[in-house]
Amino acid sequence: MTRDEALRPLASRRGQAVVVTTMGTVRPWARLSDHPLDFASADSAMGHAADFALGLALAQPGRKVLCLNGDGSMLMSLGTLVTIVASGAANLVLFVLQNDTYELTGNQSIPGAGRVDFAALARAAGFTRVWAFEEAGAYESALPSILEGPGPVFVVVKVEPGAEGPLGRGPAESAAYLRPSLAESARLLRRAILDQDYGRVDS
Amino acid sequence: MIHAGLVLDELRRQGVTDVLGVPDNAAKALLDLLAAEPSIRLLTVTREGEAFAIASGLWVGGRRPVLLIQNTGLLESGDALRGTAMRMRVPLVCLVTVRGYARMAAHGGPPAVEALDAELLSRPDLDSVALLTETTLRAWGLPWEVLGEDADLPRLADAFRRAHAQEQPVAVLVTSDTALP
Repeated sequence: MTRDEALRPLASRRGQAVVVTTMGTVRPWARLSDHPLDFASADSAMGHAADFALGLALAQPGRKVLCLNGDGSMLMSLGTLVTIVASGAANLVLFVLQNDTYELTGNQSIPGAGRVDFAALARAAGFTRVWAFEEAGAYESALPSILEGPGPVFVVVKVEPGAEGPLGRGPAESAAYLRPSLAESARLLRRAILDQDYGRVDS
Repeated sequence: MIHAGLVLDELRRQGVTDVLGVPDNAAKALLDLLAAEPSIRLLTVTREGEAFAIASGLWVGGRRPVLLIQNTGLLESGDALRGTAMRMRVPLVCLVTVRGYARMAAHGGPPAVEALDAELLSRPDLDSVALLTETTLRAWGLPWEVLGEDADLPRLADAFRRAHAQEQPVAVLVTSDTALP
């Protein structure tokens, strides 16, 4: 499956979910979506998109939070799989787009490329709703169930390696959510979340 | 010794909603109270760097988290702190219990950065994590307060004020064990 085949149906079904992207999904997602609840974990700390998304999910239990993680990023923080389950974040859907490479640095292989089984890792961490897809049709058919059911949910989608380059932030970026600084992006997301959260007292 | 109940009172006064971290012995009494405190969610994480990222997400989502970690875990957290809470300007108070401070104090207190070399850091009579703590905080741009006894509790409130005024993480070095009344 191509990355576009993984992201396009998700973009059309995300509704008012917060979407956290990182690494190889940052720019491709921005080509499909320009939403105030999109957030790029870029110019931040590699390996920390899933745990950042977990914090959002715990803060906003009435709202879906989707994290579009990479395989190299997931390997950096496998403990987060355990923390997610232990936290009981029922509104978190964690996708891992597995292309078996560190794409942004030139498609070097990840450790365990071709052997690591992310779905098995997720099950071992305690996830009970786990999907693994290699074929676009099956993936797209399952998406409504994935997004509507209770979480936490883990979805691994095997995609072909692409050619995304290094990430940056600044006014010259084509992706709108990469133009502000990370701090400003965090402020904007916070405002978007809390503005849509009528009645919440902001501290 | 610091009475854990007084620390918990201050956390409640500050409207803290979540405490995240990895347990250690110095924090045990406070952790026992937090586990029974209905107004604050206690979330144990697998590694301290993870706590900085989760706390950043909690803040962006409208919560008011605090970290409770040991100085060993603080050192583990460098890139997570830098790339999440610091770079996102999260007003995050980080309670950091400090291992090795008593022995370091008996040897003259925190060393100057120029004195930090392999010979000093491998001395068996000193705990290298204590030697590195304040130099590391300074290098990472993380201001700190010191909480060594009950009389220092206003420093905890000061840390919250600094964190919010400066929109950044602030550490509180907890230099004594917490204790139950």
